[in-house]
Amino acid sequence: MGQVNCKLSVAGKVLDDLKGPLPGATVFIKEHNIGKVTDQNGVFVFSDLCEGEYSFEIKFLGYETRVINLTLRKSENIETILKTEDRLLTEVIVSDHREPVGKASNYGALSGKALEEVRGKSLGESLQNITGVNTIQSGPAIFKPVIHGVHSQRILILNNGVRQEGQQWGAEHAPEIDPFIAANLVVVKDAGAIKYGTDALGGVVILTPAELPTDQQLGGQLHIIGSSNGRSGVISGLLEGGLTNYKGWGWRLQGTAKKSGDMHTPDYNLSNTGFQELNYSASTGYHKGGKGFEVFYSHFNTIIGILKGSVVGSTEDLAIALEQEPPQNTQPFTYQIRSPRQEVQHDLIKLTSHIRKGDNLFNIQYALQINNRKEFDLRRGSLNEVPALGYKLFTHTVDAEWEKTKEKSHTRSLGLNGMAQDNNKIDGTQTLPFIPNFNNYTAGLFWIEKFSKNKWDWEMGARYDLRYYKIVGFDFKNQLYRSEFNFHNVSATAAGTLKINPTSSFTSSLGSAWRPPNVAELYSLGTHQSAAAIEYGLLLDEITNEVRSPDEVDFKAEQAIKWVNTYRVQKEKWSMEMTGYINYIFNYIYLKPRGVTENTRGIFPYFRYTQTDASFLGADLSLSYSVTKKLKLNSRISLLRAKDETNNDYLIFIPSNRYEVSMRYDTPNIQSWTNPFIEIRLKYVAKQNRAPRVVPIRDIIEAKEQGIDLFENDNRNFDFVDSPEGYFLASISLGISKPIQKSKLDVRISVENLTNTAYREYSNRMRYYADEIGRNLSIAMKYSF
Amino acid sequence: MKVYLKSLILLLVTGSLISLSGCKNDDPEPENIPELVTKVTLKFTPAGGGAAVTVTATDPDGEGVQDIKVDGTINLIKGTQYTLSLELINGLYKVGDDGYNITAEVEEEGDEHQFFFRFSEGAFSSPTGMGNIKDNSSSTAGSINYLDKDVNNLPIGISTSWTSSGVATSDKSFRVVLKHQPDIKSSTSTSLDGESDLDISFVLNVN
Repeated sequence: MGQVNCKLSVAGKVLDDLKGPLPGATVFIKEHNIGKVTDQNGVFVFSDLCEGEYSFEIKFLGYETRVINLTLRKSENIETILKTEDRLLTEVIVSDHREPVGKASNYGALSGKALEEVRGKSLGESLQNITGVNTIQSGPAIFKPVIHGVHSQRILILNNGVRQEGQQWGAEHAPEIDPFIAANLVVVKDAGAIKYGTDALGGVVILTPAELPTDQQLGGQLHIIGSSNGRSGVISGLLEGGLTNYKGWGWRLQGTAKKSGDMHTPDYNLSNTGFQELNYSASTGYHKGGKGFEVFYSHFNTIIGILKGSVVGSTEDLAIALEQEPPQNTQPFTYQIRSPRQEVQHDLIKLTSHIRKGDNLFNIQYALQINNRKEFDLRRGSLNEVPALGYKLFTHTVDAEWEKTKEKSHTRSLGLNGMAQDNNKIDGTQTLPFIPNFNNYTAGLFWIEKFSKNKWDWEMGARYDLRYYKIVGFDFKNQLYRSEFNFHNVSATAAGTLKINPTSSFTSSLGSAWRPPNVAELYSLGTHQSAAAIEYGLLLDEITNEVRSPDEVDFKAEQAIKWVNTYRVQKEKWSMEMTGYINYIFNYIYLKPRGVTENTRGIFPYFRYTQTDASFLGADLSLSYSVTKKLKLNSRISLLRAKDETNNDYLIFIPSNRYEVSMRYDTPNIQSWTNPFIEIRLKYVAKQNRAPRVVPIRDIIEAKEQGIDLFENDNRNFDFVDSPEGYFLASISLGISKPIQKSKLDVRISVENLTNTAYREYSNRMRYYADEIGRNLSIAMKYSF
Repeated sequence: MKVYLKSLILLLVTGSLISLSGCKNDDPEPENIPELVTKVTLKFTPAGGGAAVTVTATDPDGEGVQDIKVDGTINLIKGTQYTLSLELINGLYKVGDDGYNITAEVEEEGDEHQFFFRFSEGAFSSPTGMGNIKDNSSSTAGSINYLDKDVNNLPIGISTSWTSSGVATSDKSFRVVLKHQPDIKSSTSTSLDGESDLDISFVLNVN
């Protein structure tokens, strides 16, 4: 017997089925129980391996797991392609501590090439590419994700493992996140993310960065994107590496800058719709053996302009604004952002640590978030530069989890979550605060079991949460009030996936979730930016408007039951995913029209937060067919019917049904240029016919002038105008790559709204005042090394 | 294990330090609310002397549900010239406080504010017509006898001149709108531009 060589290495590259690198995939050597994560270029390296038989297991969320068996005699290079997997869910057990999605849940993901195609867009806009996910918008730059018809405080966003906590109560408050941080975006469409706490009635959005590198190789990427509409530019860079003398240590620096001027519709400029963003993050960590420790810091900073023409001080102004096109005060293009505008900063500091001992895995995480929001309105004189609304929100979260692998396919997790929140108004706004100052203390514990039996994968869990609110605010007379109260509840989920045969599976999940009313829903007082309607919280007296004690008012926490079923088929030439769901939300909190009041600024309809039972019934379908190896057809359909069950009425701002087809042709390589492709997309969005009745603003004013309150005895939901007509949109994109030694350049050119169609989108609040943006040509370049 | 323990300790210490620094439990400071108008007074003073006609509109609860209370009807003597002066007050302040008299603020910011008026046809012999509040972009605006000017020599409307109709008439309407028009106010801007700071209607009789 000669001496065994133990200095061999295996280097490899993991690609997706479009030949793009897959960062963040895990490569696991089963025999040695060691794992690596691919870097930004999809590359991994194992060194100091001995001769022998190895099996490499390569996994990535949303892709089929691949096992490569290798008899190692000399150092090897391997390249492998992971196929997109619609059929079965793989867990991402990245090196040893991450696992955002269970085997048995209903989810959609954006990663690899699909994620590259939305680079530069905001989080909400990017997520629209996942079937079943839409957005509600306030103008061209503010997108909030909507999962199966619900949004804002009813969905949870996990940014790098931390519950995103901002002023999510406002429909015009977009998530304060730079999506360039993420290596993949996942949307779990089931209710009750048992692990992460209350509020996930509609689902969870999960942003996950790539793992930190553990070798010393320096890597990075640079994105440069320019767009014609808004004459905008985005630049985003990332640099990462390891420490030469400290094996296991890795670091990453990342930053993004965006600047856009006024957007424009096919026919006119949208004045004051520009935005700016400057974000950066830094992380470092140590991962070796079964231990790991990581520190992460990120800063998000944005200034977003609100359409000038949407400034209304009264219903009379609104009536005028509704009738004007182009909107009033439309001016030539500028990069300048004036009032009304939003200025938002969000800081996140996160410390995580994990340790694996045999079959036990312990995770602990602490995070601090500081959210700073200021909204500027057109005000008199010197007040113009004083925010009309300003809040600073501190959130501390602590999460601890113990996971035990009981058998090969059975794991049990137990965990604790704690949150302490402190919200304070920014002094000096010289307005009545819209929401009070508050402290919120939340604690929860959860238990999850995952196991496989015969052809089934199961996941079951339950959690208990306790929330305590301490409130101090000012009522309409500017007098101080205080309150303290708490909520507690239990939620549970059960989900199973049946592998019907090697090409098809069926997933069914039934989950309950609950949500204590948000402070804004309890205490709101005032007029929203460009809404011309007054809002009152649940705890404000119906007649006197005084703030009442929570014991005197009959209100409950929201409680949802969501049932989601998905059938998946993955054949050689075609694949299909069909989802049907019902989400029934008890005590659904919404703004109900209750009357019309007159103050010195004119006549205003007012709305009170009210509770009802609401249902969201829908279906998503996605189909894909490979005509040839080069030509692929895709289609997506998403249908939704949302209803106020108690009052047999429709809810407002629910995204309408939409249909999309796309065709992608991958052409052969052109000399040294690789992976050229062309893709054409057609999208049809139907008119929302399930919309509340229309009560024209002039009717409200005229009736009130004659002493009639149109909403006094008729509290049905209403809208000021009819829902906009359906529309067709076409877009085209072309791309090509060029490898330059060890690095690579990707270029993508795309045109959205190719035909420059003038249209309005029902779920965009800007629809009252202006059309959506017209044709937009973008050129995106990515250089990675 | 050592690294793990160290990191855990670091994590907890940092966490608790930050938690302590983030909390404050003092009562928040109440805000001054200078933009709220709780009381509007219209004072018609006869040019030839005599008793002024004064009406007021009071908002009892700001953003609350109660309607404004209009105190009195504008009763003018026929064929008489009046000077109308407007007074806007924020009752949350004390008399003499900076924020109390909003009229003064409007005057200071005259280059971005303008009052507009609308009245029943035939109520006045000067101005004639129905006033300068437009219904929509295609309707035409009448003229108003403004007595004050801003720095750009454009009317403000805190002080205006009116001559009542020579014929008695009753149950007519009189509406005042104050528009905030930052960067908008010009010789061509109208009541359709900008944001409403005030919009209030009274009953008018000419006897």
